[in-house]
Amino acid sequence: MTAAKPDNGNKQRTIFICQGTGCISGKSLEITEALKKAVAEHGLPGVKVDFTGCHGFCEQGPVAIVEPEGIFYACVSVADVPEIVESHLRDGKPVERLFYKDPVSDEAIPYHKDIKFYNMQQRIILRNCGRLNPERIEDYIATGGYESLKKCLKEMTPEQVIEEVKRSGLRGRGGAGFPTGMKWEFCRNAPGDQKYMICNADEGDPGAFMDRSTMEGDPHTVLEGMTIAAYAMGSSEGYIYIRAEYPLAVKRVRLALKQSEEKGFLGDNIMGSDFSLHIHVKEGAGAFVCGEETALMASIEGKRGMPRSRPPFPATSGLWGKPSNINNVKSLATVPVIIAKGADWYASTGTEKSKGTCVFALTGKIANSGLIEVPMGIPLRKIIYEIGGGIPGSKKFKAVQTGGPSGGCLPESYLDQPVDYESLAAAGSMMGSGGMVVMDEETCMVDIARYFLSFTQAESCGKCVPCRIGTKQMLDILERICRGEGQPEDIDLLQQLGENIKAGSLCQLGQTAPNPVLTTLRYFRDEYEAHINEKRCPALSCVKLISFYILPDKCQGCGICLRNCPAECIAGDKRMVHVIDQEKCVRCGTCLEVCPERFGAVVKVSAEKVDVPDEPIPVTAEKPAASAT
Amino acid sequence: MEAVTITLNGVEVSGYAGTTILDLARESGVYIPTLCHDPNLASTGACRLCLVEDERNGALLASCVAAISPGMTINTNSPRVVEHRKRILELILASHPDSCLVCDKGNRCQLRKLAAEMGVGLIQLQKIPQNDVIEEVNPFIERDLSKCVMCGKCIRVDQELVVEGAIDYIHRGTMVRAATLNDMPLEKSECTFCGACVAICPTGAIMEKERVYTGTATNTVTTICPYCGCGCTICLGTKDNQIVEARPAVDSPVSRGALCVRGSYGYDFIHSPERLTQPLIKVDGEFQEATWEEALSRVAEGLGQIKKDHGADALAVFGSSKCTNEENYVLQRFARGVLGTNNIDNGSRLYSAASRTGLGASIGYAGTTGSLDALERSRVIMVIGANPEISAPAVAYAIKRAVRFKEAKLIVIDPRNTPLTQFASLWLRPGIGTDVALLNGLARVIIDEKRLDVEFVTRMTDNFTGWTKSLQNYTAGYVEDVTGIAKKDVQAAARLLAGAEEASIVYGNGITQHTSGTDAVVAIANLAMLTGNAGRRGGIFALQRENNAHGACDMGALPGFLPGYQSVDEAENRQRFEEHWGGSLPTAAGLSALEMMKAAGLGKVKGMLIMGENPVASFPQPALIRKALSSLDFLVVTDMFPTETVKLASVVLSAASFAEKEGTFTNFEGRVQRLHQAIEPVGESLPDLEILLRLAEVTGSKMPYDSHQDVMEEIEDMVPFYRHVAYADTDSMGLDWGDVEGSSPGTRRLHKGLFPSGFGRFSPVEYTSPQDVATDGYPLTLMAGSGRYHFGAGSRSSRSARLSKFSPAALLEISGADAAELGIGDGDAIKITSAQGELSTTTKVSNSLPRGLLFMPISYPDSPVYELFGTVLDPQAKGPALKTCAVRLERTDGNG
Repeated sequence: MTAAKPDNGNKQRTIFICQGTGCISGKSLEITEALKKAVAEHGLPGVKVDFTGCHGFCEQGPVAIVEPEGIFYACVSVADVPEIVESHLRDGKPVERLFYKDPVSDEAIPYHKDIKFYNMQQRIILRNCGRLNPERIEDYIATGGYESLKKCLKEMTPEQVIEEVKRSGLRGRGGAGFPTGMKWEFCRNAPGDQKYMICNADEGDPGAFMDRSTMEGDPHTVLEGMTIAAYAMGSSEGYIYIRAEYPLAVKRVRLALKQSEEKGFLGDNIMGSDFSLHIHVKEGAGAFVCGEETALMASIEGKRGMPRSRPPFPATSGLWGKPSNINNVKSLATVPVIIAKGADWYASTGTEKSKGTCVFALTGKIANSGLIEVPMGIPLRKIIYEIGGGIPGSKKFKAVQTGGPSGGCLPESYLDQPVDYESLAAAGSMMGSGGMVVMDEETCMVDIARYFLSFTQAESCGKCVPCRIGTKQMLDILERICRGEGQPEDIDLLQQLGENIKAGSLCQLGQTAPNPVLTTLRYFRDEYEAHINEKRCPALSCVKLISFYILPDKCQGCGICLRNCPAECIAGDKRMVHVIDQEKCVRCGTCLEVCPERFGAVVKVSAEKVDVPDEPIPVTAEKPAASAT
Repeated sequence: MEAVTITLNGVEVSGYAGTTILDLARESGVYIPTLCHDPNLASTGACRLCLVEDERNGALLASCVAAISPGMTINTNSPRVVEHRKRILELILASHPDSCLVCDKGNRCQLRKLAAEMGVGLIQLQKIPQNDVIEEVNPFIERDLSKCVMCGKCIRVDQELVVEGAIDYIHRGTMVRAATLNDMPLEKSECTFCGACVAICPTGAIMEKERVYTGTATNTVTTICPYCGCGCTICLGTKDNQIVEARPAVDSPVSRGALCVRGSYGYDFIHSPERLTQPLIKVDGEFQEATWEEALSRVAEGLGQIKKDHGADALAVFGSSKCTNEENYVLQRFARGVLGTNNIDNGSRLYSAASRTGLGASIGYAGTTGSLDALERSRVIMVIGANPEISAPAVAYAIKRAVRFKEAKLIVIDPRNTPLTQFASLWLRPGIGTDVALLNGLARVIIDEKRLDVEFVTRMTDNFTGWTKSLQNYTAGYVEDVTGIAKKDVQAAARLLAGAEEASIVYGNGITQHTSGTDAVVAIANLAMLTGNAGRRGGIFALQRENNAHGACDMGALPGFLPGYQSVDEAENRQRFEEHWGGSLPTAAGLSALEMMKAAGLGKVKGMLIMGENPVASFPQPALIRKALSSLDFLVVTDMFPTETVKLASVVLSAASFAEKEGTFTNFEGRVQRLHQAIEPVGESLPDLEILLRLAEVTGSKMPYDSHQDVMEEIEDMVPFYRHVAYADTDSMGLDWGDVEGSSPGTRRLHKGLFPSGFGRFSPVEYTSPQDVATDGYPLTLMAGSGRYHFGAGSRSSRSARLSKFSPAALLEISGADAAELGIGDGDAIKITSAQGELSTTTKVSNSLPRGLLFMPISYPDSPVYELFGTVLDPQAKGPALKTCAVRLERTDGNG
């Protein structure tokens, strides 16, 4: 990496502060204000303070980029503002201590383009996120925004638009992966005067925030994609269904709608054509199931968001019984690019059946968590180890879970599998809306299955029996296993129930809810067996199955564990080996955390008896060297 | 429609496109178990028990929602299907308490039945109880949602059939359940206690409460509800000669699986300890129990003596709009043929005389012109002067369904904010008694804007020109001045009504119980004819308060008409009956109900036979009625209860209830429906028909009827429009008038615009300022009408333990504005004073009333609201103005 070179200062510079939800929670609004104030105080006429939407690298937030050189600052705080202004913006000397440090090499990296997290990505959907001010339509127009819409309206028939999208191979990014162009075509061909174009922005998967970031960071691309879709299918009325928990996205989308209408990109006779479209924002009330299209439409209609049986599919009978088309935010954000660059260009990325790119919210036991966009077909290993920077703390990789709470957990043997709709489905998981949770050796797979199922179980709309009661039965069994009360027949029962629920449920929520259990049963059956047969949690994670012991040959009798134990279950005295009362211990792990590393006297075990005295005895261990690194 | 062929269990079967697999299977005789499916409700595919397998791809489909598609190879019983079904049932059972032994649903529980059927016994799954206790104090419905299987039928029946919206899903996951808004007890919700949810619940989760007689019904008898004019079919469950439950009949063409609170829970009057179980003869002012022989000879003697001394016209007979057609027919024959007087009338005089007169004059037929189905199909429905939610619930259900699910537009014309206004596209709030001006105004807008149905008017009606001239004054501006309804709203309503392909006008006692009632009915008929909606499509729907108001009049329990509205004036008509009955019939029209009472007061009528009516409670000025009846030489009353009228009788004949007899009722549509006896008469009571036949025999004029069938056969002969009612057919509840359209044109119904008399006639009617509204000294207008929980004069409903418990007293409803002005709060004791009398009660502040209008329900014997009303008659129909009167209010001391 090249070190940033100071320049002679006072040249034209813009510092973009990220004002995505993550960075705002890290006080980026205050940082922006402080920057503006400081720049004004220093009288720097060439310097502009501006903001962008989410950069995706939320872990490093609040982040800022200074253009034109592309210096990337991570973990900025208000206190850093004077230095940034004086050193960099005024004197041209970037603030090195705020550079991003590569977690693997520990090297400071000044330029955005050199950061591995970014430079391995291929950004189509997120192309503008972090690059422009989402509250200014001019910024979007300056990047070629609304040119695709213009091209559609002036040069293409709706059929040609559909054909182009079909040819691009774009598939629904909401998870099911149905070809987008075909969906439009069904709706276009469905009889009916009134048709509805709906954007599904009810992103409900825990930990997934790509739709939110897209709407916050580049709302106009969603609107443009939606308008093109409406034109293609022949709809004059549109709805964007956003969860109310996304206030910033709601605000920016509403603002974008207003700006777009003012510019004549929405409303009656768009760009002088015969085509008109009015888009309404409908805020959802936080039910996960409202991401299911029929439930979403019921919710727009003012009814309780509950899925209904399909067919009829929305394309023939959707919102208010009229032909409707529902696309995910990411699918729509892709559309303007396909129109601008052509289907062939888009189809050149990805695999044979899965074209283009996909966005993942990479989280869990991973060095670089955040939003990433990668070409379809990229191996999981590349995402986790190169973009994600691997597992922190030199822990061992255990599994990766894709597709949100209804996705499956894939083991190490799948790391070289390409990421696309078919491969993930074949492995028992799914693309979903793009959650990707990395787990290391300390994650218990039974517990993780229990966790995901507890989410879907609680979010079941309650309509159909398998999903409402079946998932609860499964959850109860998993809880039992985690408590060490599992029975040998539980594994078969879980398997059967899982299959019953998958095959018998009314909607996708129920049909996919057992996935985390079924995949962990498939790939990590030994962990279930250990829990049930040996009452042992191999990951040392299930509280009821683990124990903490103080090793008599290591304990120095310092008393730190005794003082910190919230359950007051450690006995001991100065220079006496401390002893944990196993009956009283709540297995919180505080003793393990506080025991000085150089002593290493506390151990965590599962289904294992450690030989310790019943009562405190005098310390016999040699005092270790002061620094034991 | 295209036929689709599928393979069902190896056999090729075809159905129309769109048919579900379940429906086709049932048609083909293939059984598929279901729990959440109901033919009257939209299918939701919730329980998944109806899963079947498509063998082409192994997909499991919920057959209740999956439509057939070409080439499907369905196996309804593959091992995989069976395994899944069993598992689903196990899951449900794992969340269901093992309390079958003590559950009232017992052997009728569908869950238990399915478990037995599929051989699911003990299950290996862990019990996951759904604990749910709801504190409910209402006496009708109790919910134990620990037994709920979330089939959602209660929610759907509430929303789709009754369209009340009292319950919906709440929460998610295993916490989900059916609940009221904010999960309040039913009595604090929108629930009307219609009982549809109780009837449809497959398990013991929603049950009937506080039943008078416990136990499971051992027999079920299908009959007709005895309360309002809707004529819903009810299934009475019986055990030990007791009625243990009343349930809606799912295949009733009137109510399709729903009743109202009265129908579901008001039947217990049958077993009231107050039932008269034996005839009574008054001796020295005290009633003494008597045998039937004693009582009937006493009646024969009493009536005979008066006839002998003062002539037949010193006798009067009052028939009942609650009794059967057969009973009313025999009663009028008794009056005319045996007693020799035309002094016969029936209880419907009090509320629907104006309908008969007005419609008779306009369209030549004295009743509703369409079926409820036609009403539900209408594109526009105008409801004027009616609150069907209370007075005719099945009609309200149909209207609400039309609006909610069939995109019909509703115009409500009512000064009160009735439950229907929230469904209305347009709600007009005219001043009391200004209906004629409004209706004329609507007609004028339609004519001025050339929105009339020219073809219909030209071909089917006469006097159009003459009538048009009479509308000269009714400009929208004038109408606005008179009614208080903005010009633009009058125009909007007129355009909506005239613009509809099919429009219906529904009206009730708010029209008929005014002095201008007949005029208003004529104005409605004019409007319907003008828009081409009389007879051939849409129609005029004249609500009838009581179950057999239509029938009692059809049967000739009227002073001027022989059965079938054949005028007594015409010798030809009399001759037909004379030939049939022998002897000669009286020639001059007799006295109408209120005229009889007046004549009794004047000593002109000296003896009276009252069958199943309670004029002391149902007529205006009860004191005068009481006095008139007390002054009679002889009064005989047949009734079930010791009513206010019964107490004045010389002889009381204990009558059987509807559940204890056979016969027919004719509902407000004109639908003749068959009653079936569910239990033996209580005590020694007898059906009125039996009483009358025995009485005739005792008087020496035995009638040639051995049964109700014999009577109906004669009715079929003598009443042209009952001719098609082959007695057996009235059992088939699906009987619709369309069925007989071709075979007997122009008889019963107004088909294809063919009025019985050839043409409909436009008649001018003029608005006159109302007499029955607030005036000097009486600054408020009191409206009287039905309440939800009681009925008619209250003789029966006040003796229903649950109805009385839930709604023990009549409260005076007052608008917030008036209450504030008069310093009156909720529950204050007040005195209402009118020119006729006074009444004390307590208040309820209501936001459904406009300023200046009060509302008080009738039907509470302890609060006889008609004390306040005068005896002002509609000059044409001779019905009393019982809708409104002028009153003043005062708070009384010592109020709480």
